[in-house]
Amino acid sequence: MLTGQITSAIIGIALAGAILFLVRRDHLHGPYALWWFGVAAATFALGVFPSLIAWLGRVTGIGYAPVLPIVVGLSLVLIRMLKLDIDRSRQERQIRRLTQKLAILEQELDRLGGRTSTPALPDDHTP
Amino acid sequence: MSAIAPEPAKAATCLVVMPARDEAPTVGSVVADVRRLLDCAVLVVDDASADATSEAASAAGASVLRLPLGLGAWGATQAGIRYARRRGFGQVITLDADGQHLPESLPVLLAEQARSGADVVIGTCVGRLSRAKRIAWQYLRVLTGLKLTDFTSGLRLYDAQAIEVLSGQEASLLDYQDVGVLMLLSRAGLTITETPVTMVPRRAGRSRVFASWRVVARYMMHTTVLCLAQIDAVRRHRTAGADPTC
Repeated sequence: MLTGQITSAIIGIALAGAILFLVRRDHLHGPYALWWFGVAAATFALGVFPSLIAWLGRVTGIGYAPVLPIVVGLSLVLIRMLKLDIDRSRQERQIRRLTQKLAILEQELDRLGGRTSTPALPDDHTP
Repeated sequence: MSAIAPEPAKAATCLVVMPARDEAPTVGSVVADVRRLLDCAVLVVDDASADATSEAASAAGASVLRLPLGLGAWGATQAGIRYARRRGFGQVITLDADGQHLPESLPVLLAEQARSGADVVIGTCVGRLSRAKRIAWQYLRVLTGLKLTDFTSGLRLYDAQAIEVLSGQEASLLDYQDVGVLMLLSRAGLTITETPVTMVPRRAGRSRVFASWRVVARYMMHTTVLCLAQIDAVRRHRTAGADPTC
């Protein structure tokens, strides 16, 4: 029979290990790696030292301390999802503009390789 | 490149932009009609068609932009507007390639622009609006404060200022040439006017906005969120004393 502390330590260490593995294998880069590195450190610390939760509960004045990591974790997941959608919107904008520019440049190449030409005005240098 | 003799860019000419997806049966005749009626360059933006839209447009004498990914009606139109800005065209006229907009209407837009001096002229045909569209437009009129009769008409004339605004990054995440575009133009302080024109039922294809009830519902929800996000901008514009419609 496992004690609660050993169970939480196993979960924390496994999660932290998986994240570290992915970061080291370069599957997560830049700011994503930093974010997940923080998550790995937190799950490791809280898994191995669950008394930290009780201490945090006392510090923050929350009567039922075990709910604290759930609330904080859910909030962080929501923030992460929001950031994901912001990033996706930015990338969607870039893909659309790149697609448009690719078509425009391809048309100019065709025209320059073929018949007459009219020089293009300086563009806005955006994708 | 040095072998190609440079010419000055055309400053005050117009470009007719036609977004087209799988419109091979109609695009050639529409291009030919436009070229017959107007002394403007014609650009067909092929929105990743699976058929011979590009070939039909080229054969009819249009320049063609081929988008490697389907961007939707507005993405294709914006590609044409960016092309116009890059090439120095002073006016862009947009019309659908499916034959519902009569090329005979284009001189009407130009005449209205010359008369009113508006930055944007929308060709509308109120008679063709279905009951559902009338209700939808009434809702959008209340929500946006824009006093227009048809929000999705693809028959439009944009001047150089409008081309500048619509070429920007801010316009790139819009999906339709409709409320979002109009609010962007209105927020930039540009004047928008409408003129009645004759339209006919589509010869082929179907509306991308009014394709099915599910699409309409999604469209109305997206547009409502868009309007709510921009509502203070429109209010500011109105309280500044400018009527967004004239």
